[in-house]
Amino acid sequence: MPPLIEACDLTKRFGGIVAVSNLNFAVQQGELVGLIGPNGSGKTTTINLLTGHLTPASGHIDLRGKRADGLAASDFAALRVGRTFQITQLFSRMTVLENMLVPGLARPHSHKAAATREARQHLEFLGLAALESLQAKNLSGGQQKLLELGRALMLDPDILFLDEPFAGVNPFLRDEIIVLVRKLHTDGRTFVIVDHDIEALQRLVHRMVVMSRGEQIADGTVAEVRDNQEVLRAYAGV
Amino acid sequence: MSRWNSACAFVLAVLALAFPFMVNAYWLSVGVLAMFYAIVTASWALLAGYAGQFSFGHMAFVSLGAYTSGLLVKWFDIPIPLGMMAGVLMCALVGSFIGFVCLRMRGPYLALFTVAFSEVLRIVIVSENEVTGGSGGLEVTPLFHGRTDTPFYYLGLALLIGSLAIMQFLVTSRWGLFFRAIRENEDAAAASGVKVVRFRILAFAITSSFAGLAGGFYGHYIGILTPDIGSVDQMGLVVAMAVIGGAESIVAAMIGALGLEFLVEALRSYGQWRLVLFGALLLLTIRFARNGLLALAWQQFNAILPLPVREGVGGRGRFGTGTTPSPQPPPARGGGVS
Amino acid sequence: MTDYLLIQALNGLVIGVIYAVIAAGLTVIFSILKIVNFAHGEVYMMGGYFGYFAISLAGIPPLLAVLVAMALSFVLSVLVERTLLTPLYSPTTERKGDYGILITFGISIFLRALALIIYGPYPLRPPSFWPGVFVVGSLIMTWDRVFAGGAGVAMLIGLVLFMNRTAWGEALNAVSQSRESAAIVGINDQRFYMLAFGLGGALAGGAGALVGPIYSLSPSMGLLPDTQAFAIVILGGMGSVAGSIIAGLMIGVSESMFVALFPDPSRSLTYAQAFSLLILMLVLLIRPTGLFGRAHVAME
Repeated sequence: MPPLIEACDLTKRFGGIVAVSNLNFAVQQGELVGLIGPNGSGKTTTINLLTGHLTPASGHIDLRGKRADGLAASDFAALRVGRTFQITQLFSRMTVLENMLVPGLARPHSHKAAATREARQHLEFLGLAALESLQAKNLSGGQQKLLELGRALMLDPDILFLDEPFAGVNPFLRDEIIVLVRKLHTDGRTFVIVDHDIEALQRLVHRMVVMSRGEQIADGTVAEVRDNQEVLRAYAGV
Repeated sequence: MSRWNSACAFVLAVLALAFPFMVNAYWLSVGVLAMFYAIVTASWALLAGYAGQFSFGHMAFVSLGAYTSGLLVKWFDIPIPLGMMAGVLMCALVGSFIGFVCLRMRGPYLALFTVAFSEVLRIVIVSENEVTGGSGGLEVTPLFHGRTDTPFYYLGLALLIGSLAIMQFLVTSRWGLFFRAIRENEDAAAASGVKVVRFRILAFAITSSFAGLAGGFYGHYIGILTPDIGSVDQMGLVVAMAVIGGAESIVAAMIGALGLEFLVEALRSYGQWRLVLFGALLLLTIRFARNGLLALAWQQFNAILPLPVREGVGGRGRFGTGTTPSPQPPPARGGGVS
Repeated sequence: MTDYLLIQALNGLVIGVIYAVIAAGLTVIFSILKIVNFAHGEVYMMGGYFGYFAISLAGIPPLLAVLVAMALSFVLSVLVERTLLTPLYSPTTERKGDYGILITFGISIFLRALALIIYGPYPLRPPSFWPGVFVVGSLIMTWDRVFAGGAGVAMLIGLVLFMNRTAWGEALNAVSQSRESAAIVGINDQRFYMLAFGLGGALAGGAGALVGPIYSLSPSMGLLPDTQAFAIVILGGMGSVAGSIIAGLMIGVSESMFVALFPDPSRSLTYAQAFSLLILMLVLLIRPTGLFGRAHVAME
């Protein structure tokens, strides 16, 4: 069974800076992976590459065994790869429900009634059901984060890339997000989560991948990575 | 449809149909031009206000549609409706092309590019005067021969209603949702599966087609076509019409166009001061009433006399602007969503 | 023939200096206010008329009238900035990018309409700065052009000195690089936006006054410089004054050569107008956010 998504020798440059260098990274169906590393290590770039928001300079990406590296972001979404952004990207002047309906109706063979039902189910799950008619810009920061997750869920994604879901959230919301992710994972969705909150990730994930300066320097269980000398050095800035 | 809306629509329909019999020939001709501007303005509002693509090249497509039809009819003697359709097709093609080349441009760069494109087209038309008649103008066969503008008015009205119906259908469909999503946040739209490339090109193709249709109608009405119709100042007039009416709503923009066109003529005695007045009105509206004067008036009206609101996809306001009043969010459920 | 080409090239250099002055003004505005200013050409136009009326109404000598035009253009720009551009700095304004596009486009429309009313549609020609021609061998150039070129160079030198040698200029540089950092160091933003917009306008207005005797004035004379200046600014590197100077000269000379070498003389002048427009379109196609220098920073 091929990995759900696999990066092979992925490289990405911005001007003179190598953001991601020869990255090899495979995620199997059903995994819950944490992706950590110091600032500037290339984590967000990796997500952007694996979701079609950036094209690699070299290397390729396999999605469910088929080549996917030239595809646009909307193609990845259609192939049921979902993502959230580091800074929440919503459709500010559209309502919460409309935000959910955009991916809902972008799916082929979707109908408004069914999509609306599904959207309301997800909103219920996320605790946002009462806010359905509010404009997204009027939501609190935490609510916006959850809405963004809901929007990704509307793609019925096999795999979800979460970019810093715990950034700037209070402890209650953090716990809630952990509960939600666990539930979704039990339902069969695969997760790759980038964050700096290693403590939260440790409670959630089974496998931890560490990047530093564009390269992968560790890949193993939480315990293995925690004791990895190279990881400690990377964080210490050595 | 609520009763109020039906009553309004009925009265407007009667007025619109009876218009040629209520006014003299001069005002009838103003009415014809108002129909023309209404189609152009509504389609620009769809492109810029609704889909978020601030193109200042819209009048170039009006010009292109008009000249294509005029020239084809003149040289090849084809029936005018066929010429107009050819104009629409030409605009759809060139519009798609422009939408395609502008894909990587956003905001002011798109505006710059389209204004440059518009000027280049105008310069070409002026320069190639053997073909196009240049600044002196091109004689275009009128659609109707007769001493009255009445048939032009009804045709214009029909085209306007038809165009508006198509645009409203688009706006309330999922395509409308995608256009708004692209306007709000292109990256999020892509991540949500919206084929941004396709819809940006579509936005240009569709709205340019309407501009070309209006242009063809204009050419075969006015009889003498000059390159000025594609000038930046004409674009400015359309922008003013849309913004003052309300750029994010097709209907509001159309009303802005009708209103301003009649105002332009009503103030004819003021001569060139009218343009200064509209420029000032445009600036004031952008500065103080960004949603347009109609939305402002509606807000004031609603404050005094609240009326039922028609809903579209996901719930939208009276003019389909996609903005709903935002009361305080209800208290979050337990769990501490902050 | 080569004499003709040489004269054309020299004329192109002069007009290139004028373009550079306009573009330099636009660069200052762009790098500090971070907006694409569609009304820049209209301030250029107004400057031309200010100069004309300074001479004809106030009897000011032509050479001094250029300075008066610059001062009045500065005032006009500051007026515009204070009344219409302040929402760009307010955190409560939504979609600042759209606002910037619409408001400056609107200002351009308004100023053109105003000029039409006040000055009338017929071209006006201000009196020469210095009558007669300047002759060296077989090369002839009117003194007006020589003066325009020289004064333009002086303005550019003045600008560079101002930006690099005065406290205000260095502060402007700081704000252009990072608004937040500048605020931390205590540089009061709002006055610098005023200064930047006024300075940019003064340069444009000065260029307009210089060009008056050569090409005469009309209310729509700012339309082409509007887009032309952008071609130059983008080519020269968005935030770089030096870059826009070089690009301005390049465009001026190549435009002149284009006119000289265009096979069909009856069309050469009209198509020459399209020249810089096409360059702008090309530049935008290749690099939608500009060639060198800083990428466009969104206001939000």
